[in-house]
Amino acid sequence: MHEFAEWLQATSVSVTIQSVAWIIPLLQSIHILMIGVVFVSSLMITLRVVGRVRADEPFGVVWDRFAPWMWGGLVVMAATGLTLIVAEPIREFTALSFWLKMTLLVIGITSILIFGRTLRPEARTSATAEFSAGRKAAAVATVVLWLAIVFLGRAIAYDVEVWGSLSLHA
Amino acid sequence: MEIPGIVRSIEASGAGEWMRMSLKAMPIVESIHVFTAAVVFGTILIVDLRLLGFPSTRRAFTRISDELTRFTWGAFLISVVTGVLMFAANASTYYGNAAFRIKMLALLLAGANMAVFELVTKRGVARWDKDVATVPAARFAGAASILIWAVVIFVARWIGFTKGYNYDIPPGLDLNLDFPTK
Repeated sequence: MHEFAEWLQATSVSVTIQSVAWIIPLLQSIHILMIGVVFVSSLMITLRVVGRVRADEPFGVVWDRFAPWMWGGLVVMAATGLTLIVAEPIREFTALSFWLKMTLLVIGITSILIFGRTLRPEARTSATAEFSAGRKAAAVATVVLWLAIVFLGRAIAYDVEVWGSLSLHA
Repeated sequence: MEIPGIVRSIEASGAGEWMRMSLKAMPIVESIHVFTAAVVFGTILIVDLRLLGFPSTRRAFTRISDELTRFTWGAFLISVVTGVLMFAANASTYYGNAAFRIKMLALLLAGANMAVFELVTKRGVARWDKDVATVPAARFAGAASILIWAVVIFVARWIGFTKGYNYDIPPGLDLNLDFPTK
């Protein structure tokens, strides 16, 4: 993996991104703006599931309002994130936080796919539109998951400080 | 006391000392700062887009705005506290950093934009709260807010890439600046 990272970091695409001073901060900024879009969209959907926000609106309306932003934001984050990996592969691949983040990301994306498939039809058929305690707990869990992903993202810059001897840098 | 004096005393404070000495303080405080800044942007964006008429005017503006205010202000407050802690760690470096100064100006601008909207434009909200297009002043406030907050986040990230070497390099000196950025 380290050899692959070194090869990638030496490619002309990677060198070009690294040599223009404003590209990496710009990509990171777009990535952070999209955290706002994705996290808040997911938070709004979750708060609707637990009945704390937009309880006057049917779940389907709230889902249709925020889910496209969540997916759109995730696509932009994937694009900026992949470019950041190409720019600094050694920084990413040698950070424990990066691999934990990628693992949680797979779980997070799978969970919102399952969310969309189960909650929407359920909300449509249920007259009260009240979700079960299990559904509510699952919704809150996804928000916590996104929170962990965000923190791990920033922790990539501080792998040794955060993980000590567990860090892949060590 | 002059501003540079205040900056030096902030840097010498217990909070500044703790931020510098603790190994985990900076990554934790910085993560919280980035996260809460993202929440501020994300929640404000929903309100700003509604001012611009997106995705529709079906839901009352005041309703959307009222249900999000507590999240925006809560996140902003945490962002300020963590931001002050980060500033205390290296106050004089931040104070002299151009990106940091632009960020502070942009924050003031965001505040001014909000104040004008809250005190002037929002007075007539009953006329454009629901089912009709918002007034031009409201659309301007929304667009300006999105732009200003995007600038705040960009220049904030720019600080991390510039604050370490914000000084004049003596002519003819061969400096190797190839060290990792945070």
